Parts: sequence; structure tokens; C-alpha cells
Amino acid sequence: MGGSVSKMMGKIFGTKEMRILMLGLDAAGKTTILYKLKLSNQDVTTIPTVGFNVESVTYKNVKFNVWDVGGQDKIRPLWRHYYSGTQGLIFVVDSSDTARLEEARSELHKIINDREMKDALLLVFANKQDIPGHLSPEEITQQLQLTKLKDKLWYVAPSVATDGTGIFEGLAWLSNNVKTQPAK
Amino acid sequence: MASTLPYRPSNDSLSTSNPKTNGLPRLSPAASFIGRSPSGSHASFRRTSTENAVGHRPRRCKAQYPLDSPERHVEYILVASFHIDRGPIMEHQYPAAISGDESMLAELMLPDQTHVRSQDWTIFFLHKDTSGDEEDESAGGKKKKKRKSRYRANEETAGMSEEDPDEPSEGDSSDDDEGGEGPPLMYVLNLVNTKQDNTVRRGAVVKAMAICTRHSFLHIYKPLLLLALEDYFKSPYPETLASLYDAVNNMDLSLMPKMSILERHILQSSNTKDMFIEKFEQMVRQREEEEAEDGECPPSPKKSSRYVLPRDTHEFESKVVYNDIPIPVKIPTVIWPETVGDFSLVKLIQTFAGPHATSPQPFPSHPHLTTSGPFTHPIIVLVNAILTQKRVIFLGHNRPSGEVAEAVLAACALASGGILRGFTRHAFPYTDLTKIDDLLKVPGFIAGVTNPTFANHPEWWDVLCDLPTGRMKISSHVESAPVTEGLLFFQQQNALLPPPSSTHPDPTGDHLFMDDILRSISQRHGENAIRAKWRAYIVKFTRVSAAFEEAVYGASNLYIIGPGEELSPDSPTGHQTDPTDPTSLRGHGYVWPDEASKQRELTASVSRIEGWRNTRSYYSYIQDIAAMYYPARPIQRPDIHHHHDRLRSLKLSHAEAGAIYLALSHAVKDYAGICQLLTVAPENQAGLFYISMGLFHPDQVVREATVDLLDRIAVHPVGRHFWTHLSRFAKLGYFRVKRERDAAQSPISGAGSPTATNPGTSFGGEPQSLVGVALGDSFKRKS
Repeated sequence: MGGSVSKMMGKIFGTKEMRILMLGLDAAGKTTILYKLKLSNQDVTTIPTVGFNVESVTYKNVKFNVWDVGGQDKIRPLWRHYYSGTQGLIFVVDSSDTARLEEARSELHKIINDREMKDALLLVFANKQDIPGHLSPEEITQQLQLTKLKDKLWYVAPSVATDGTGIFEGLAWLSNNVKTQPAK
Repeated sequence: MASTLPYRPSNDSLSTSNPKTNGLPRLSPAASFIGRSPSGSHASFRRTSTENAVGHRPRRCKAQYPLDSPERHVEYILVASFHIDRGPIMEHQYPAAISGDESMLAELMLPDQTHVRSQDWTIFFLHKDTSGDEEDESAGGKKKKKRKSRYRANEETAGMSEEDPDEPSEGDSSDDDEGGEGPPLMYVLNLVNTKQDNTVRRGAVVKAMAICTRHSFLHIYKPLLLLALEDYFKSPYPETLASLYDAVNNMDLSLMPKMSILERHILQSSNTKDMFIEKFEQMVRQREEEEAEDGECPPSPKKSSRYVLPRDTHEFESKVVYNDIPIPVKIPTVIWPETVGDFSLVKLIQTFAGPHATSPQPFPSHPHLTTSGPFTHPIIVLVNAILTQKRVIFLGHNRPSGEVAEAVLAACALASGGILRGFTRHAFPYTDLTKIDDLLKVPGFIAGVTNPTFANHPEWWDVLCDLPTGRMKISSHVESAPVTEGLLFFQQQNALLPPPSSTHPDPTGDHLFMDDILRSISQRHGENAIRAKWRAYIVKFTRVSAAFEEAVYGASNLYIIGPGEELSPDSPTGHQTDPTDPTSLRGHGYVWPDEASKQRELTASVSRIEGWRNTRSYYSYIQDIAAMYYPARPIQRPDIHHHHDRLRSLKLSHAEAGAIYLALSHAVKDYAGICQLLTVAPENQAGLFYISMGLFHPDQVVREATVDLLDRIAVHPVGRHFWTHLSRFAKLGYFRVKRERDAAQSPISGAGSPTATNPGTSFGGEPQSLVGVALGDSFKRKS
């Protein structure tokens, strides 16, 4: 009952729901971004995610259901169980961890080549822009070989998750582009 | 006197009986238990007939957990932690490595979302035999092979070959093993703590400690794990595990008496706190005698015993001394199959009954599940799903994993009723995405998860139970119910009969049953009462299924026909095969008030019965009937349950009722026989009331036979409790019949006429002495 009412309200007032999956290597900053979205004005300290986190965030009339899944290499094979029904992928990269960028590239391409993810938008957060020695969004684009992607809407947003810089800009891109897609 | 020998072996009658196959030769119901029952029943016949004297038990009382048992209470202690680079890892195992997939174990010990709460409990099961190494959900090749062979055996009606040949030596009390389903499960209780710590990288330490035991009452170890895990954070060495291991294994349960199936049944359905106290007394006496013989403790009559008797015989109190702190523990005396941990049926029922009561949502129709239409009660849908071996998932997003585990365990107990088995063996109280591929290989499971992504995969489950909202969903991917031969045959049969009125609001009786359950819950009758009612519900389900099988297939796998009884459905109930032997009363199985209500109920239940007839729990129940339930019953003829039900639910003529009272009085003589009678007349269902009605029968022979029976019950160690609960009215009737008989025997007063006696004046003489016996006995015991 309650669900159908809010769906009707959504049709009248243009609220959309969007399922977002947030992935990335361990310690990239996924959980910090999630809770910075959820609790925008508070300081967030996180510990490693055992399993997953999921939160709803409403921004610009779009209700984002954001799934944040733990990133240790042993548990990455589980990511595929979260693909079905996902409309947007947020891939978080630690821009200062240049040694693992190749690993990040390979994981990212594995995800977006999956059949169930072919329609999903791709937002990359080039995170940790405050750490000396970080790469720029352009360098990240290059390292991740995003220009090779065909038929894919993607965007790289620079961010500093710990103080919230760039995060809502990224979300704005998602909400602007989800509107061009047929609502599910 | 043939009537006092109810222990005639039944196999001869089985092999000679010629079941009508009703044109379905595929089924040969008798063959499936013939291989089994002779040895089992012989063993127990001999046992019970040695202790024929009523109320007198010369045999030694055995302990459930003897001191010299090679089995340890706890077999392993494990510690795992979440490594920030590598994920879950195993840190220590004591006394040895448990073997199997170590990282899989570590993942189970660190449940999803451990990082958002400081503490969480989980339970999971390991399928580990004493030598091999198999892990629950591991995809090891050996495991798969074994599973396959187990199922194949089942398909050929009950794999007898896997049974332990000397198992029936304990006769009535050997149900702890999982009959043909492999070694007992290893139960794991796990505690995980997350501690914020700024001195370590990424700010937290997550550690888990687990106890692995073969006892199903694993919840008693909770306080010990709390203490020991705290100690382990301070000193993370194997010594911490060792001291916990030694402490729990030094727990003394050796004064807890072992009980037969009938005794356990009576104890569980009773609220009397000193039921079977004499068994506990005997355990203490035996121990003191042993100690006197050993000279450890010189016998001194004045000294009071060092051993205390339980305040409530439903629990045994002991203690575990850990680091010099004595921690009291209470172990349930009666443990039924499929009852693991300290779940609550009341809580499970309330979770799903509440939302259904306020705003019911229709289910999509499925013949196995929605047996009362689209608004079938969700708890009934759940039980139907488990009985027909569907895939059931309990989802508790943002709930501790201990909570989903508890729901899974409660669901197992609900569908089992303590009678059916094979649910916990395929239950995964807590699991997560890492095991999904292995989980999906199991046909029919009950699993608990906290990850809401399971809700997005309806192809993984048939029924999803969402704990936070209390809503149940039937999957759009659920396999449709196959049309079976039994179903077709039943429909053919019924096409000839006038169609039962389809307008009946509650053909299965489940609405009525759920209303009764919910009323009991709201009147705070307590967990025990609810469990007893579910047990009765499942017993009824098996009896209705047996009646269905007899109607459709001509014979049932679920009922072993007693001697002299015929399989034919037209066998006249209530007739004596041998006119000189009152116990040769015919009739068996479930009792309906009339043929129309029988047809109505069978029609409503035919789909779920057919759905159940091909499951693991169905096949293991057939084995259990042959191996334990049937041999546990000393009286095979007449069918006491059937005839007591007739007294309760039918309007019988005087002659019919009289035949039942005579049969009961002639058949029920010894200790075990009385126990058997008391199991069909539990205190919560009027106790001895229907039997006591025989005191008011017009035929004097019947009245006196009833008095004899009640006399035996009143001096029986269990029966005396039932006797004291009998109403004053029934007792007055008892005294009147007694007086009549005395009067008839004394030559002076001649033939006593009932009108000549005055209940008021005669309330003193001989009869009261019997009350004196009963009361005096219990007074003595209480003091």
C-alpha cells in the first residue's frame, strides 16, 4: 500500500528511483562516499566493510539506492550478484595509489563487460585528490582506458571523499543522465 | 490369557497381509519397513516385558550424558578475524584443526555487516563425521557424491542399508542419531566482536570465536563465549582457547536421566514441575551407592545429599567453571529432533501474523502452498513450503545475523513438530553471497541471510520471508506443482461421490488452528504450550496423510498395521476380530466425525500431502516409524490413539464405548503401556477425562474395568499426576463404583444398587485410602 502510494506520488512529482552499485578496490573510499552522501555535514570515519552497506539518498528528486560492496580481492567475485537491475555504477579509484591502477582498470572492465551491466551509467570518482602525488581526472581516464568504451555513458569526477568535495557533482551527473533513460 | 500379551511381533501379520493395491502396483508400502521392524520391535518387546510390574522399576536408570562417555560436550574452539588486506582468516583452532575449507569457515564466522555493530551471534551447521572432513556448504567432490547416494537411496524407498545394524539395542531411546542421514550435525555457535581502535590501520579489529558441539542446546554456551572472546582480545593465544575448552568439557551432566520416547513425550506436554522426579532421585541414589562402594565418601545416613534435585524436571541445572567463575547452565531434559538452540515459535508466528492480521495481502496461487486460497495464513504457507521441500529464505536486512538464524531454527522446529526430520540438515541458519552457488545446489533448503540483494533474485528462492516487514512472498519462479498419480486417482475416486460443499469456509481446518494458536499467544500460554500445539498439528498432518494413502493407494507407508487389523478401508471400526478377546478391537488411524468432513479435509489437503510424499522428511519419517516410533509403543493392538480419539470426537453408542473401555482396560497393564495411553491423553487435552467417563457407563462390567484401569494409573509414577488432575466429579464416580463392588463382594449387603449409596456419607472408607496413597507419595517426594 505505502509503496504504491509513493510510486504514484513519484509519477506526479517526477521523483525517480535509481539503483546504484558502488564498487572499487579495497580502501578506495567507497563507504566514506556513501556516508558523506547520506550524512552530508558530518565527519565520517569508516572501518573496512564486511560484506556490504546499502543506503537511500534523495538528491534532485531522484532517490538513489546506493549499494556499497566490500573490495578485498577475495570477495570481488561476489560483485556480480549485485549487477541485475543496477542502473548506475559508481567506480571509486584511489588516485594516489598508482601502483594498483592497472588492477583497478582490469576489475572495472570486467564489470562493465558483463551483460547485466550493459545499460548502466558509469561514474568514476577519481578520489583522494587531496593526497600529494595523486593523478588528475584526465590521467585516470587514460589509465582506465575509458575512451575505448563504446556505447557507454561515462564521466570521471574528481573528489575528496573525506570533506565531500566533488561528490554531489558526480551525483548530479547521474541524476541528469538517468532522466534521458526510460524510467523503470 | 492372550489379552495381556500385546507384544506379539507384528511382522508375521505384515507379510501375510495382502494390501489392496487399487490398481497402483508401483507402491508396495509393506515392503519398505519389513526389512527393519522385526529386529527393532523384538528388541524392545523383550525389554519392556521384563519390567512388567506397574510402577516398579528395578532397572538402573541410565544417564543421557554418562561420565565415561568418549564424546565431549564441545569438540572444537575456533577464532577468526577480518584481515584488512585479505578479508576473513582463521587465527587459531583448538585442540586441532577442524579440517575442511578454512576460509569458508572464517567467512561464516564473520557475517555481513559485522562492521556496523559491536557484537553479533551466529549459528551454523557443519556436516562433519568423526573421521572425514566435510564442510556444510563446501563444494567438495566427496560431499556431492555422498549427497547423491543419499538421495538415490531415498528414491528406492528409504535407504535401509545405511542404517547402523545395532542401533535398535536401545530400543525406545535411540533417536539422537539422524537415522540414515549420516552422522549427527556439528552445531557451531559463533560470537563476533568489532572493536574500534585508533592505534591500528583502518581503525578497527574484528574477531570471532566459535564453539563446535554435537549437542543441540548450544545456546547454553553464550555467557562463556562472551567471557572468553573478551579474554582473547587481551591475550590472543591458543591458551585462551584451551582454558575455555577445558572448562566446558568439565561440565557434569551425568545425573541427567535418560528417558524413553513415550516418557519424553509426556514430560514435554506437561507443565507439572516434578514429573519424573523419581528418575532424578534414582540417579542420585545410584551415584551415592557407587561412591559408597568406592569408599570415596563413607555412607552416613544423617548427612544430606551433595546432589540437589531439579526444581523443574524439564531442565537440568549444572555449572561451568571458567577462570574460577562458576557459570550456571540449564540443559533441557527433553530434546526433540530438529530442535536446535533457543529460538521462539511465538516470536516467529507473531512476526508474520501481525501484518497479515492488519492488512492481508493475497498470495499467488500454488497448490502446495496456498492450501486455503490466496489469503492462506503466511505461517501455514511457510509450513507447507517446508513440508513440500521448497527453498525458503529468511531475510533480515539491518538485523543482527543471530536474529535470522533464530528464525530459521524456529521454522525448522515448526515444520518438524519434533516428529519429522531432515529440515535442520538442509538448513543454513546464517549464510551469505559467498555460498550462493553451493546453496543453489541443495534441493529444498531453509536459509537465513541479511543481504537484501537476495530479494532481487527470485530465481534463488520459492518463498521469501522478510523479517523487518513481516511479509512473505511466493516467487514468480516457483516450480508449479506436478500432477501426480495419487492426485489423479483421488479425483477419479471422488468424481463418483457427491461433490463436497465447496463453500465450506475452512476445509483444511487451518484457519481454526491458527486462530487457536494466536489466542494462546495473546493469553500468554507460553512457548511450551505453542510447541505442543504445533506438535499436535504435525501429528495430525501425518495421520491425515496416512488416511489419504489408505484411501488412494490401498495402504499407507505411514502406519504399521497392528496384528489382526486389516488394511482394507472398509474394515469395520469398533468390531472385535476375536469375540473372546476385548483387545482385538478393530480400527486405526485418524478419526473424523463423519464421512463428509473426511472427504472435505482430504480434498483440501491432497496437494500438499502429494507434495510431501516425495520429500526427504517423508522418507525419513517412514524409517523412523519402523525404527523408533513403532517399537516404542508396547501396545500395538488395539490402536489406542484411534480409540481414544473415538471417545473424544464421536457420539458412540453404549455398546461401542463399552468395547473401547474394556479394550483399554485389558490392554493397558504395565509401566510402558500406561505411558503410551497417557501420551494420547495429554493434560492440555482434558487428560484422563474421556477415560474417566467409563465410570458412568450403564454396564457394570465396563465401570469396573475402568476402575481397574484408573487404579493402575493412579499408582503409576507418571499416571499419579494425571490422577490428581482428574475432576472431583470423575473421582466421585470412581468412589461410587468402588463401593458398589465392595458391596457386591460382601455377602451381607447383597447386590449393591447405586441408589442405596450416598456419596456424602461414604466419602471416608476405603476409597480415600487410595487418595492417601497418591497424595502421600507426592508429599514424600516433595519434602
